[in-house]
Amino acid sequence: MRLLLVEDDRMIGDSLRGALRLEGHVVDWVRDAASAQATLSSERFDLVLLDLGLPATAAPGAETRLDGGLAVLRALRARRDATPVIVLTARDGPGDKVAGLDAGADDYLVKPFDLDELGARIRAVLRRQSGRAESTLVVGGVSLDPATRQVTLNGAPVLLSAREFAVLEALMQRPGALLSRAQLEDRLYGWGEEIESNAVSVYIHQLRRKLGADFIQNVRGVGYSVGASSK
Amino acid sequence: MNSIRVRVLLTLLGMLAVVAVVMGALTYHNVLGETEALFDYQLRQMALSLRDQGEIAPEQASTLNDEQLDVVVQVWTVDGRIIYPPRLRSDLPSRARLGFADIAVEGKTWRTFSVATGDRVIQVAQPLQIRQQLAADAALRSVAPLFLIAPALALVLWWLAARALAPLQRVTDGVKARDELSLQPLPTGGLPDEVAPLVGALNGLLQRLGDSLGAQRAFVADAAHELRSPLTALKLQLQLLQRSPDDEARAEATRALAAGIDRAARLVEQLLSLARAEPGTATTTTHTMIGLVDAVRNAVAETQPYAQARGTRIEIDADAPVLVQGDAAALTVLARNLVDNAVRYAPPGSRVDVKVWNDAGVPTLRVDDAGPGIAPADRERVFDRFYRHAAGDESGSGLGLAIVRGIAAQHRAGVTLEDSPLGGLRVVVRFAE
Repeated sequence: MRLLLVEDDRMIGDSLRGALRLEGHVVDWVRDAASAQATLSSERFDLVLLDLGLPATAAPGAETRLDGGLAVLRALRARRDATPVIVLTARDGPGDKVAGLDAGADDYLVKPFDLDELGARIRAVLRRQSGRAESTLVVGGVSLDPATRQVTLNGAPVLLSAREFAVLEALMQRPGALLSRAQLEDRLYGWGEEIESNAVSVYIHQLRRKLGADFIQNVRGVGYSVGASSK
Repeated sequence: MNSIRVRVLLTLLGMLAVVAVVMGALTYHNVLGETEALFDYQLRQMALSLRDQGEIAPEQASTLNDEQLDVVVQVWTVDGRIIYPPRLRSDLPSRARLGFADIAVEGKTWRTFSVATGDRVIQVAQPLQIRQQLAADAALRSVAPLFLIAPALALVLWWLAARALAPLQRVTDGVKARDELSLQPLPTGGLPDEVAPLVGALNGLLQRLGDSLGAQRAFVADAAHELRSPLTALKLQLQLLQRSPDDEARAEATRALAAGIDRAARLVEQLLSLARAEPGTATTTTHTMIGLVDAVRNAVAETQPYAQARGTRIEIDADAPVLVQGDAAALTVLARNLVDNAVRYAPPGSRVDVKVWNDAGVPTLRVDDAGPGIAPADRERVFDRFYRHAAGDESGSGLGLAIVRGIAAQHRAGVTLEDSPLGGLRVVVRFAE
């Protein structure tokens, strides 16, 4: 999953990015509201982790009321952008939670929080986003559990690398949908990461080798999909 | 017995008693004087009329003989033989002295008037006791109304005192109803002039208490809020360390955790400094004459390792001794925060100038840096605690300048922010002369 982390605290952001990467997510990190606005209006993410107690702007001398996060959220929803947002904040009054949720947040976590809980909430929000109730993705004989990061083929565990898993998860979240190579690359690489030219092809090849050659369909020049032919 | 009502009442009753005694005594004295003159005149008239009359008529004699009569007449011959009354009474003066006289017979004093004719001596006597009795009766009559009025007065006074003291009771109830959560001022309406200043003073105290409590509550809330960020970082860093898949990641996570602990420790230390520097929470330390230069040199020495790590050079210009009235430890904290801020925000490898001198008699500390400075519009707000004027990479607590202002205020020193010739911020602390 490609996540945008909006967090002004250097240490928190650093650790969160590290932990989310360990979970196999691609994480881009911005540290102020203005950058968050700019990024969100130009790029697509699967989920946004938004710190509410954010300086509205980092420009020196500018107004720095600590509701920058809420402004980002409102602007996002005003553009009818339905990207799921989990709000992170140090404010835990009921009013703050209500304000955050009413502004369009999908979930709410109060600092300091547990990484396991954050992971579970991210998965839950993504699950709701894709309109599913069950957490395990199943396409044909392949099932994928985002929580445990386990993949089985006809009940037998299959070992995948983090990036292979990311590609498979992206495809299995929307069975039948075609994902372009660029879309898959987005899921694999954050900013500043060098994209290997034929990386997607390599991971698709590995997945086909492990899950069966016809599990992933390829429409040449358009993209890849799973489950399209398995009615 | 400490009740105002009881005291006022006892005082009133005591005064009434004194008035009664004085009035009675005066009346007694006056009436006694008046009756004396009147009765003396009567005695004399009676005696003279008897002399002129010559004989005592039988009908007169029976009247005079009446034992109840206050006035007793005796008549002797010139050689001392009693003529009248026929029966000699032993309790009467047996001898006459011409003119007025007080004669004691058997413990009873008589007032007598005697007159001599050619062959007889006539004496008219009256017990002196009668006069005293009359005077005492008159005195009692004049004082009696006072004793009747006294209970009524006492009742009225009791009621008046209760009424006058009712506002005090209201104030008491009001004060009882106050606690640390509700310190609103007591109502001052309808208070007598004697009680109003007390309530005014109480309200002033409540106001100051409320302000102080509010400041402390805000401080604790702010502090708790601010502690969340470093604690969140610590928790994440620890969890990241636990999840580290390899040695390299573990080493990185350990380094991050150590930095997180340093940051939390520094914030706690800064919070303690601020708690000591905040007005209202300040403990009164004894201010003595201390050398400002020494305090600043200590502060620079404490910041030196950090400055060296950033390659920043701190230059001190402090040759002459500068004496200020103050607390050496607090002033070291003040200087350390200024120098630390300067090093923190100055670009690595730049210069920080620290100068201590007597500026026309005013002890002055000045710190210059080459950092981004602070825009004039922000120069007041940066003194607010937890205010960070930019989300920079610097892990400032947002407390440094709040601490500086607090300590400066304790030393009646002024802090001003200016543009520095080095390109960054200039902080000037001017102490009282």
